[in-house]
Amino acid sequence: MSRPTDLVQGTLGLLILRVVALEPMHGWAIAQRIRQMSNEQLRVGQSALYPALHKLEQQGWIEAEWAVSDNNRRAKYYELTAAGKKALEAETAEWERLSAAITLVVRPVA
Amino acid sequence: MRALTKARLRLRSLLRRGRVEQELDDELRYHLQRLADEYEAAGLSPGDARLQARRDMGAIESNKEECRDARGLTLIDSLRQDVSYAVRALRKSPGFSTIAILSLAIGIGANTTIFTFVNAVLLKPLPFPAADRLVVFNEQPLESGKPLAVHPVNFVAWRSRARSFDALALVQTPPLNVMGAGGAEQIPRLSTSSDLFRVFGVHPVLGRAFTEEDSRGGGAPVVILGYGFWQRWFGGDPGVLGRPLTIPGGSLTIVGVAPPAFGIGLTQSEVFTPLPLDPANPAATGSRAFEAYGRLAPGATLASAQAEMAVIATDLRQQHRFDEGMGVLISDLHEFLSRESRPGLRLLMLVVATVLAIGCVNLAGLLLARGITRRSELALRAALGASRGRLIRQLIVESLVLSACGGVAGLALAYWATQALSAVAGGALSSGATGPIRLDATCLTFTVAASILTALVFGLIPARQASQINPESALRERSRSGTGDRRQHRLRKVLVVSEVALAVVLLVGAGLLLRTLTNLGRVPLGFEASKTLTMGMFLGMRPPEARIAAVDQMLDRIEQVPGVVAAGTIQFMPLRGLACGTGFWTEEFAGAKDPSRSQPTECGLVSRGYFAAMAIPVLEGRTFGRVDRTATSRVLVVSQAFARRYFPNGAVGRRILMQSSNQALAEIVGVVGDVHHNGLTIEPVPTVYLLHAQTPGYITNLVVRTAGEPSAYAAAIRSAIHEADPTQAVSAFATLERDVDKVLARPRLQALLVAVFAAIAVVLAVIGVYGLLAYVVTQRSREIGIRLALGATAAAVFRQLLGEGVRLVVAGLLLGLATTVVLRSLVSAMVFGVTTADPVSYGAAAVVFLVVGLIAAAIPARRGSMVEPTTALKCE
Repeated sequence: MSRPTDLVQGTLGLLILRVVALEPMHGWAIAQRIRQMSNEQLRVGQSALYPALHKLEQQGWIEAEWAVSDNNRRAKYYELTAAGKKALEAETAEWERLSAAITLVVRPVA
Repeated sequence: MRALTKARLRLRSLLRRGRVEQELDDELRYHLQRLADEYEAAGLSPGDARLQARRDMGAIESNKEECRDARGLTLIDSLRQDVSYAVRALRKSPGFSTIAILSLAIGIGANTTIFTFVNAVLLKPLPFPAADRLVVFNEQPLESGKPLAVHPVNFVAWRSRARSFDALALVQTPPLNVMGAGGAEQIPRLSTSSDLFRVFGVHPVLGRAFTEEDSRGGGAPVVILGYGFWQRWFGGDPGVLGRPLTIPGGSLTIVGVAPPAFGIGLTQSEVFTPLPLDPANPAATGSRAFEAYGRLAPGATLASAQAEMAVIATDLRQQHRFDEGMGVLISDLHEFLSRESRPGLRLLMLVVATVLAIGCVNLAGLLLARGITRRSELALRAALGASRGRLIRQLIVESLVLSACGGVAGLALAYWATQALSAVAGGALSSGATGPIRLDATCLTFTVAASILTALVFGLIPARQASQINPESALRERSRSGTGDRRQHRLRKVLVVSEVALAVVLLVGAGLLLRTLTNLGRVPLGFEASKTLTMGMFLGMRPPEARIAAVDQMLDRIEQVPGVVAAGTIQFMPLRGLACGTGFWTEEFAGAKDPSRSQPTECGLVSRGYFAAMAIPVLEGRTFGRVDRTATSRVLVVSQAFARRYFPNGAVGRRILMQSSNQALAEIVGVVGDVHHNGLTIEPVPTVYLLHAQTPGYITNLVVRTAGEPSAYAAAIRSAIHEADPTQAVSAFATLERDVDKVLARPRLQALLVAVFAAIAVVLAVIGVYGLLAYVVTQRSREIGIRLALGATAAAVFRQLLGEGVRLVVAGLLLGLATTVVLRSLVSAMVFGVTTADPVSYGAAAVVFLVVGLIAAAIPARRGSMVEPTTALKCE
């Protein structure tokens, strides 16, 4: 599996929030969904995923609950909180602003 | 909400560490499982799939570590780190830690000990429900303002008229004679009006309280047992109600048992009897010789009650002759009982607080020095990213650890000291206002608070100083001179000077109290306290002739006992806090008996042989003898102060009329020496001595002078008394020496305690001086080495270093003396025979401190002058 780039590392929190906003899921499923939604472009390994998940949990943007997963084993499901929803909106707006600015510099409208 | 969730998560990670770890493990394990499943689905064998998944996951442990880091270090975690770091750092410098913890232990321990006493005597309320509503009544002459006893007529008037009180009680404490297994015994008894238990809000443990009928008399005489007496005499038998308590000539029916430890201040009564008080005829109960207590009604305050009583007193002044010029004073009971001990305890609290302050200042200086030594270590931590706040927190935690250890050690010290002090001198400090004094939860809280406060006080400034570092320069330089250093040095000098000043203040105080003690010990009592035996006795409610005969026969028998030099009786012993005051008319005014013409005097009721027994010198004329009887002419003996004041041209032969009832014109037959009856510090007042054989009293004290050790004769004297009258009970015997000792007990204790604390303070201050100078020498060893190498003599170096030390000591001394002069009014109540600006005490304190300070400065100065130039220059 290729390592995610530094850019993805920084915005991993945003990706997780977006994915979890759709429905509660556990770490493995989050990684799969990110892969899926990015057309296999973004692959997140557990070394980056879980620290990011725990950081988000600490910040109170997602909350966790243990439940039985689809393969009949116990897994830790993460769900977006109200504060997380607000953060998601803010971060998304920030990302759009940032990426637009970078695009302007990198590919100037000649 | 976020803060709450955050807090909950933090708490979770702290409290259920194991659970959190397990969950982390489970979570990663699940991921591993899914990865393996994926590989298996892709075609690998289960074993290979697992292996591949493992390989992909990489180091799980470091992943877990990252997750833990992502959760963030909680405050509790970092505090835990700080504490273990602090403990390690303190263990590395055992010398410093020992001195620090020791001085803290002494300071905190002393404070806790004294606070225990302050709490028990001054702060804790009396052990009655709503004890702040309890008041004590005193009649008070409007002009002199001296609190006096209460008259039953007035009491009855107050009871019926005053609206400010729920209940009032009139009380007197004549001892009671009871017939025990070994004969008649005299026990302390409280005679009270019916509402005593209501006033104090307590209920008898067994049976009932007194009622109005009991006071009116007529029925069978009743008694309520004290709890301790009930246990001692009746073994706590619950069937004791209705049984008789045998007294000489009859018995009292037991109707109740009082609750445990029920007493008013000093008065611990064994039994309670109803005071015969008929509201229709209160004058029959007695005269102005009772105590009165009351409970404020809900809504009344001390001030409003006092105002009401003032109005009632005005009325009473019109109504009764004996109330002329008299007012009423109401005091809070707790305040009244603790009045005597208050100034002493306050002083001691100040003293121990000063000792603690000195200890803290010492520690602050030590920590400042340590901060300089640890500079490179702190600089490294700052360079690695620690904020200034974090460094300060680290250093404060160190101070807290130190003071926690000091606090624990101090608590142990205080526990032991409280027990020792309570056993040896508890009565002197608390004037008997409470029971045994023990460390309790309040004192524990005090210790904890004191520890935390001291840590902050002595830890904050050094912490701020030490954290003010520039990492670059600190790590680079090895020599330690710079502006930051100079500031710290100046701060340390200020601290040392203030330490010295405080210690000097305590020294002067100790000197004043010690001189007071010596002065008190030198006061001429007016009588000879050694080799005398005293016993109290209640002569019973018998007719006067019987009481006179009883004393006569008793004295006859006692004089026969071999080894008895002289024997006599007196109604109120000197130095026991009881006296009787009255007035008299000179012969010319004796006929009219006009109250405005009477002159005041104190009186004493004595038997023949009293003056010989007390070894009071006879200055003129004679004393009482066998010839003086009721039938012969009335005679009186007066004190020298009386003769000087009223009959400076000669008192013997003059005739006066005493104002007390049943008196006739009497002739003064002798003048005796003055006696310090009311206390060592109170000048003897004019006193007239009346003869028991002519005007007998009910209570009296026997005084016997013996040839040898008094206790050896006690049994013989007791049997002599019982030979004369088997039903005459006597109290336990005491000696005059014990009385004098009791009077000296408090000043002695105060002087001793303050002296001990002053000594501790001096030691601490001297350590401070020594420490500072030793440090200076170490810092400057290079410089000294250079100077010596360049030709300076060792003597010159010594002089210079010594000079620095002496300057500090002298500055502190002057500051201390000045402070003492300013504060001297604090002890003015406690000194006797010296002024608060006593030059001897001040001078002695100055000399002591100069000498000690000089030695403390000389040692490091000498060490400095003996520095080897070569070694100093070589090493850093």
